[in-house]
Amino acid sequence: MWFPGWRLRRPDAPPGEPCQVVGDGVVLAANSPAAAAGVAVGMQRRQAETLCPAVVTLAADPGAEAAAFEAVAAAVEDLVPRVEVVAPGLLFVPVAGAVGYYGGEGPLVARVAAAVEAAGGPGARLGLADGPFAARLAAESATAGLVIVPDTRAFLAGLEVAVLNREEMAATLRWLGISTLGALAALPREAVASRFGSAGLEAHRLASGEDREAQPRPLPEDLVVEERFDPPLDDLEQAAFATRALAHRLIQGLGPWGGAPHRVVVEAESASGLVRSRTWRSADPFGEAEVAERVRWQLRAWVESGGVPGGLAVLRLAPADRSDRGRQLHLGDDAASELEAARALARAQALVGPEAVLAARPQGGRHPGERVLWHRWGDPAPAPERDPRAPWPGHLPGPSPALVPPEPRLLEVEWDEGLPERVRLGSRWEPVLAWAGPWRHTGRWWMGEGAADRYQVVTSVGAFLFEVRDGACYLVAVYD
Amino acid sequence: MPEAARAEAAVPEAFPRAVAGAEPGRVLGLVGPPGSGLTRLGLSLLADPARRGPVAVVDVRGWLCPPAAWEAGVPPERLVVVRCAERDLWARVTAALLEGLPAVYAEVPAGVNEAVLRRLGALARSRRAALILRPLRGDLPSGLAHLNLVGEVVRWEGAGPGHGRLTRRWLTLRAAGRGVGGIDRVLEVVDDGTDALRVVPRLAAAPAGRAAG
Repeated sequence: MWFPGWRLRRPDAPPGEPCQVVGDGVVLAANSPAAAAGVAVGMQRRQAETLCPAVVTLAADPGAEAAAFEAVAAAVEDLVPRVEVVAPGLLFVPVAGAVGYYGGEGPLVARVAAAVEAAGGPGARLGLADGPFAARLAAESATAGLVIVPDTRAFLAGLEVAVLNREEMAATLRWLGISTLGALAALPREAVASRFGSAGLEAHRLASGEDREAQPRPLPEDLVVEERFDPPLDDLEQAAFATRALAHRLIQGLGPWGGAPHRVVVEAESASGLVRSRTWRSADPFGEAEVAERVRWQLRAWVESGGVPGGLAVLRLAPADRSDRGRQLHLGDDAASELEAARALARAQALVGPEAVLAARPQGGRHPGERVLWHRWGDPAPAPERDPRAPWPGHLPGPSPALVPPEPRLLEVEWDEGLPERVRLGSRWEPVLAWAGPWRHTGRWWMGEGAADRYQVVTSVGAFLFEVRDGACYLVAVYD
Repeated sequence: MPEAARAEAAVPEAFPRAVAGAEPGRVLGLVGPPGSGLTRLGLSLLADPARRGPVAVVDVRGWLCPPAAWEAGVPPERLVVVRCAERDLWARVTAALLEGLPAVYAEVPAGVNEAVLRRLGALARSRRAALILRPLRGDLPSGLAHLNLVGEVVRWEGAGPGHGRLTRRWLTLRAAGRGVGGIDRVLEVVDDGTDALRVVPRLAAAPAGRAAG
């Protein structure tokens, strides 16, 4: 069950006017008038506001979105137990048992649709398929509200590999001539695994319609963590502290088992003895911060809907659907240092301007300076204009000079019968001890460039690269 | 690293550890005229910290050419070049980078205040970041760097009178400071354009003005 644009279903969203929801300076959702003006999800806020100056910008509030979605989740849960919330607006409903209970898919879906509409208003899209991956895609493809997929494998076979949400892998697959999930599923699983590793294995599993963990190993009971509060907590802020500690215990407890959960069951017991439970699901394994965040959202949703009468007495977290990929979470230190590095570079950018904080990629060229493709740090690296693997005849062999002036500088060179004899460095004339070259560079004559001869010269203070062009000598690189 | 280089790098005497890679929380000074090969040496010292995260070069003149760093073992996606020609801004930018990166190679513009350099040194120590300083003119204040490497003699192999090409550089360095126990030592760094930088410890000073080529 998917509500497109749930983030925009807020009381402060102006009806009929262009509107966007922004978090961390990036557009997270945009309504149709804004989209018509060119605003797209993932765009920088400033860019969006330039494209559509009249757009109303709302700050993202995941807690409020989750709280608002709770009514929908509760309404569905009245019909089918153990629903899983993925994000506000997206809900997985396991229907295997319920189909029999309600007498078929049709009656069940009709009831769920009616309950959702009553709780969350119109606009929900429902997709029914084997497994959450296919069901989500079915819901996304549902234009008239509902898509029932009779044959999940056949449905997936026609979809493009881009739906796997792994851009790099999708690009490689397309390059290999595999553009649909059907073509991917037709490949031998071992071959996909050996080419793409565990990510490929998972993609193949999804493409074959085998969602869910094939054999989720049972977890020992003691991995469930709980905290009892006496007196019961009636303050959300206090609960938030406890939440973080509990999330830490949960993830730490799972550490020795080498996994992290894809699902976490949040269970709250109120002082009056009422037990509420909700499952949160994520495509990527949950880390400590993500668990804590989901639990906070959930508690807020329950408290605001009056669902914890008398205060919170027990909070319990149970992991489910462990993934071996969760081992990556142990590299948390790396992730933190990457974040720190990004912050430091962003501060440097603020000081000297984005044009002065640069990253570089190799590209082809004959001159050392031409072999660098600069781009602003933080922007995606552009594709090289010249192939760095091409032979580039006439290019200077390595080692590369470490310093290349942006513009060639005039250099005084004394010649003796066509051989370089001395070069002037600052106020001193340095004798040339050895020299190599010339490497002739014919230049782009059609653009008015003349031919140039390049020489490597060695003096007692170092080696330099200079070129002779139009009768004058220019310093083009320093082997510093 | 080739086998021969590995064997030589294992020689324990007179071998400052800092040459194997910039050390966290330490300041390394590279002093010498342009052309002496110290930029490339500094870039190669970033290769080790680059395995832990992005590293930055503060480029005062706007001359830095990244292929030298790539050849020295710094992955392109881990190298960030920050161009800053203004002296006042230079210290703030370098400080900002030290706050979050494992290593920073900074050219020091002429006329930077000694107190500013000492503050940067203290920041590098507190943030456990490696700071490599390359003054564009003059020396570093005494006691600032844990180890100072002073370029003394540079020789090149490969180029003859009008033939061959530059293939290998021999750089004679004088190591001074706390990093070598306060006793100056002479060592030679062999650079053949790959990331296998060889350090050849030497106890005697090289004869001055050795012929290149």
